[in-house]
Amino acid sequence: MVEFLQFTLSGVVFGMIYAAVALSLVLIWRGTRLLNYGQGGMAMFTTYVAIEVVYRTGSYWAGFVVALAAGIVLGAAFQLTVIRPTMNKPPLNGVIVTIGLLTLIEGLAGIFFGGQYRSFPAAFSVTGLKIGTTPLGVSRFDVFTALAVLATTLVLAAAFKYTTAGLRMRAAAFNATIARLSGIRVARVLTVGWALAGLIGALAGVLVSPSTFLYPNSMDTIFVFGFTAAVIGGLDSPVGAVVGGLLLGIALSYVGGYLGSDLTAVVALGVLVVVLMIRPGGLFSGARIRRV
Amino acid sequence: MSSAAEVAPAGAGESSTLVLEGLVAGYGGVIALDGVSLSARAAAITAVLGANGAGKTTLLRAVSGMIRPRRGRVLLGGADLAGRNPEQMVRAGIAHVPEGQGVIAELTVEENLRVGMMSWRGATRRAPARAGHARAANSRAERTAALDEAYERFKPLADRRRKLAATLSGGERQMLVIARALLARPRVLLLDEPSLGLAPRVMTQVMDLVVQLSRENGLTIVLVEQNARAALAIADHGVVLNLGRVVASADARTLAADVALRHHYLGF
Repeated sequence: MVEFLQFTLSGVVFGMIYAAVALSLVLIWRGTRLLNYGQGGMAMFTTYVAIEVVYRTGSYWAGFVVALAAGIVLGAAFQLTVIRPTMNKPPLNGVIVTIGLLTLIEGLAGIFFGGQYRSFPAAFSVTGLKIGTTPLGVSRFDVFTALAVLATTLVLAAAFKYTTAGLRMRAAAFNATIARLSGIRVARVLTVGWALAGLIGALAGVLVSPSTFLYPNSMDTIFVFGFTAAVIGGLDSPVGAVVGGLLLGIALSYVGGYLGSDLTAVVALGVLVVVLMIRPGGLFSGARIRRV
Repeated sequence: MSSAAEVAPAGAGESSTLVLEGLVAGYGGVIALDGVSLSARAAAITAVLGANGAGKTTLLRAVSGMIRPRRGRVLLGGADLAGRNPEQMVRAGIAHVPEGQGVIAELTVEENLRVGMMSWRGATRRAPARAGHARAANSRAERTAALDEAYERFKPLADRRRKLAATLSGGERQMLVIARALLARPRVLLLDEPSLGLAPRVMTQVMDLVVQLSRENGLTIVLVEQNARAALAIADHGVVLNLGRVVASADARTLAADVALRHHYLGF
């Protein structure tokens, strides 16, 4: 019973990280119908930037803030320079460009920061919390991780729902033609979408790296899990991304805990395949029909 | 007799006349519009007619910037707007309602309407319709007032403001897209097949609305219609396109009376 509780709680924590990655993928997918394979790579790179700042300033929070800012800049810069030219081209062009980005950014990280594993500090204690003498299987930092992603998601959801900028983004995502005819500068809105995705990806990178170490490929697995979570949620739905992340995190935690941690990646890919076969629109697609 | 003389229509006059000169546009290697010239007056309905593939929709798309004209001029109030993108065109006063009752289905009715005001911020101020109208142009209060005005005019939308646009009937959707276009406060309204797919009774309502917008609000209306008979019944002027060229341009009544032309190009 205690074991089950521990697995569940740590599943929630990792699930929130997958949710963050999924959310960043959804933000880009909604606006551009493009899956950004470079998302994990961008998050890895911004975490390296954070580590350098932390070592130089001695302040975790300076690194944290710089990572998020770097995520925004990287996302926007990437959209402006290499994605925008592919926008009126066949969709595959954009996909290949993002794969190219992943290769490029992982190569650059190797050149700049070296290929060795580096440990990334955590903001709070990573020793497990206990109730009485019962270990919960999560640390203070894990709680911070879950809350940080939750807060980001809620702020984002509220901004989408209640602000004019949010409405502009939704209108551009749902129907670019009508949005443009109504005066929305859709190209600019898409850049903002990439910047937000960069921010959330950077958050995921900073939050996951204390438990995975940091190296040029360190976000690859997280990216696959985040992608799986996004597909479970339907790629179009921010809420779906978060729920998908949580479901996957908890499921993988049980698999890792009860069956062995070397099975998690296989199970994640299995889930991905099954979802794509049975409900390719994701769990939250409902009966909505997409016009092509 | 008519109240039009007392209430000066919002954008009426020379500055709202839309003039197209030698407009050429197309897709890839296909020229869909081959040197079209026409003039659409303020407070009047100009019907653009012709068979499928005559270039009617392309004409509207070229005017609103959805496609870039290859040659020619799009003059509004004397300024050449050709080559601008849709975001700029709507700010310059040209609102385009594309065919197919294009609501944003995933947004609520009210959100759809708010999208209609997205061109307000940073827009160049146009001549105010009423005194004191322009000063507070971007304030929340004025946005709310504009929404209320839209609900007042389109009452069925008011009852459904929190509903997703996907749940609306065809007629309500057409109402919503026109209301949305009006919230941009255009001088020129481009309507592409507003009657398409509507029940006859609803179609009559939409046509009445178009008349009202031209007579009472003084909008310059360019109406593209497959249903030439219905369009000529409300239009002041008619332009007939065939294979991307103007084959006839005359008073609507004259066109409707021209049996040979009707038979040849308009199918009635």
